[in-house]
Amino acid sequence: MASVPLDTRSFARQEDLHLITGQGQFTADQYYPNMLHMAVIRSVHAHAKILSMDLTAVKAAPGVKLVLNHQDLASQGAKDLPHAVTLTSITGEPQQINKMPVLAKDRVHFVGQPMAFVIAETALQAQDACELAQIEFEVLQACADVTTTLASDAPILHESMSSNVSCVFSSGDKASVEKAFAAAKHVSEVRVNSQRLIGFPMEPRAVVAKYDPSSQKTRIHTPSQGLLSIQGYLSQCTGLSPEQMEIVTQDVGGSFGLRTAAYSEHVGVVIGSRLLHQAVKWVGTRSEVFLSDWHGRALSLKGSMALDERGQILAIRFDDQVDVGAYNCYMSSFIGSRNLSITMGGVYNVPALYMQSTIVYTNTVPTSAYRGAGRPDIAYAIERLIDFAAHEHGFDPLEIRRKNFIAVKDFPYKTAIGTQYDACDFNLVLDRALALSDYAGFHARRARSVSKGQLRGIGLSTYLEASGAGNVQKDQVDGQFTADRILVISGVTGASGQGHETSFAKIVDNELGLSSQFVKYQAGVHGLALIGNGTGGSRTLYGAGSAIKNLCARIREQLALVLAARWSCDVTDVTYQGGGWCRQGQDATRMPTAEVLASLSDAELQGLSGMGEAQSGATYPNGCHVAEIEIDPQTGEVQILNYVCVDELGTVISPQLVQGQVHGGVIQGFGQAFCEQVVYDEQGQLLSGSLMDYALPRSGDMPVIRNETVEVHTSLNLLGAKGVGESGCTGSLPALANAVMSALRPFGIDRMDMPFTPMKIWTALQTAQAK
Amino acid sequence: MKIALTINNTPQSFEVEARTLLVDLLRDHCHLTGTHVGCDTSQCGCCTVLKDGVSIKACTTLAVQADASSITTIEGLGQNGLHPVQVAFAQCHALQCGFCTPGMIMSSVDLLHKNANPTDEEIMQALEGNLCRCTGYVNIVAAVKVAAAQMRAGA
Repeated sequence: MASVPLDTRSFARQEDLHLITGQGQFTADQYYPNMLHMAVIRSVHAHAKILSMDLTAVKAAPGVKLVLNHQDLASQGAKDLPHAVTLTSITGEPQQINKMPVLAKDRVHFVGQPMAFVIAETALQAQDACELAQIEFEVLQACADVTTTLASDAPILHESMSSNVSCVFSSGDKASVEKAFAAAKHVSEVRVNSQRLIGFPMEPRAVVAKYDPSSQKTRIHTPSQGLLSIQGYLSQCTGLSPEQMEIVTQDVGGSFGLRTAAYSEHVGVVIGSRLLHQAVKWVGTRSEVFLSDWHGRALSLKGSMALDERGQILAIRFDDQVDVGAYNCYMSSFIGSRNLSITMGGVYNVPALYMQSTIVYTNTVPTSAYRGAGRPDIAYAIERLIDFAAHEHGFDPLEIRRKNFIAVKDFPYKTAIGTQYDACDFNLVLDRALALSDYAGFHARRARSVSKGQLRGIGLSTYLEASGAGNVQKDQVDGQFTADRILVISGVTGASGQGHETSFAKIVDNELGLSSQFVKYQAGVHGLALIGNGTGGSRTLYGAGSAIKNLCARIREQLALVLAARWSCDVTDVTYQGGGWCRQGQDATRMPTAEVLASLSDAELQGLSGMGEAQSGATYPNGCHVAEIEIDPQTGEVQILNYVCVDELGTVISPQLVQGQVHGGVIQGFGQAFCEQVVYDEQGQLLSGSLMDYALPRSGDMPVIRNETVEVHTSLNLLGAKGVGESGCTGSLPALANAVMSALRPFGIDRMDMPFTPMKIWTALQTAQAK
Repeated sequence: MKIALTINNTPQSFEVEARTLLVDLLRDHCHLTGTHVGCDTSQCGCCTVLKDGVSIKACTTLAVQADASSITTIEGLGQNGLHPVQVAFAQCHALQCGFCTPGMIMSSVDLLHKNANPTDEEIMQALEGNLCRCTGYVNIVAAVKVAAAQMRAGA
């Protein structure tokens, strides 16, 4: 086969060359001489007392260098795993918090919970040795789901507590909502589950630590979403100060919210390496990832809507149940409270809003953020609720939406819960999506499907979400020019497939006229006192990206001063436009920035280096997705016939990358809608613990995704951009679900939960037809 | 056990345990880390390599089963430049995090070797054993079509 000569100019991204040639540097690709390997002894029970744990045989096994239990960790200064948020409950009391111990102490609370670390010369020796542990358990009754854990006779999971409720949280005005419901002509109520999912980045979780006795620093290779978050969390649970750690993140094989935090295994390799003065590596098997990566979603949302006789929404109320799993880890409480409440009115003008969520423990893997982290879930619930209400009370699903949209003239709009949306145009996106999907032609297409014995449905969602406000006040970047005139930008945020470097280079090109081969981005560089947010909440492009825009403005100011001195003119006479420089009214041609840089002395070049920063809060991406499907009533199988997304994302910097993000989000929505589901049995054993039982979307599941963007300017950040990373998920869940319900509604089926498996649909059709 | 095989056109011999997996031989002994382990159970396809020109999953192949064979990994695919499938993946934005990409490319190369002009459906079916969590597959299918056209034009 003739090879193609190396020319990367046509590539979509600067990141791609090393990834398509096998030169990627993922954490498991890190090898050190004499590196040791760690394996983890995990609980096989969901809820049990540990009566005894005899690790003598493990320690004596061939190749074993070190075995650590919870006492060993405590003596090395390790602490429990952090949680990110403590809520205030409805009674005014602080939320009850039960942090996860790095290794189980006297009880285990979920299958897969780490109980001991074993470090040996080879990975196989470490795994073999784990088998020799002698552990005596007193098995306790498990609560594997929310209903069981809330039952009056449920066993109490955490001994310090009197129930399994961590917090009851509320937001909004209960009295005004109750008043609106009392006066309403129509009321509809739907409970929908956003089932527990596995985030499933393709790169299994891994960590390598190497302690250097001379500097007393530990180098930690790990996937992350940005330096500061993982460093802060690692510092909290390892007992090391941030200065004692050097975090190295190179390529990251997907994150989806799972990589901001430190896990037990991080602590094991860090402490192991310090004790043994050798590098230690842990690479999770996929089974371990199923059993121990934080799970996502696990929310149950009961929504009620009050309407007047014309279909005007008077109030929306939610009563939510949030399963945080066995412990409070990282973001779970934030998802089940703030993220479910801040956009709970969606795109609609709703005078009264109130929500309450009951946050509970179960004997399952702790939950945390997964793509969207509560925002897809609430958008899903609202959009199912409005469809349900429309059909229940005889309104057209399209018209009821238009009637209740927040009007363009009402922006900036403050919701009844206090969130302020800055600028949106919901009819604009809806109209475009209806045109692209030929919504008007659906009835004719449905008739054709029916004539072939197929069921056909169309579903739409008009969604809105709040992309991340960030937990750090500012995003800062550092820019330094190398002697080769390459602008090297360093920042906190780290990519895991989003293409940060390509988008950042595009911003520099737009702002300085410096093409991408002159721009490099590096995440998490030590020795630079930068603050900023990691990748998360879809905010890197407008967060760190705005800081880069600010950096470019500063570089332009400096360049103007240098050129003014050289040209002996006033700095105000130096103009920059379209990537080139000239003296106002004097030069016929402009000097490209690259040429200006080439002409600078080393000292002048040094003078351009510096910091850029920006403060950027949440944005409000929104859009309309339309799904059209066919169901084969003989099998219950669903086929996606057409999928259209029109997303309103503000200024788009890299259209191809935006399309990629939307595709990825939509297919993850498809996964939740049709195939993915974590299943525990009553004893808390994970039944969906491998890819044979947990179905991920495959090629061909969504053959076509047509997407377009429209722009409504936002002034919430320097770039005018809105977040895109999670919007695909948020728009697709309700569109796909509403399409399924549209196909089934003629059979009187109007309530069903995801995943819409062939079995579930077929069974529902059989039951409906038997009536 | 002693085995002798050709890896990326270089004949090599190794002393391995009977239980050593081909993927561990490639990664741990040869430091060919472009072949990734995504699931250990042959469902995700990240570890796909070519054995005597045919795609196999290296995580469920014993090293001894590769004795006397010729193995091609992602690193050996474009030894004098890039393979058209590699180029098409980068052009079509068919990768995001890149973890599944080597396996996805090797499966695509195998498909195009057997079928120079596959339909969308044939591509989707051929890649069913390769999971991608980032892209939604739409651009991957497009990339394989582009590569197929380029390879036919260049053949």
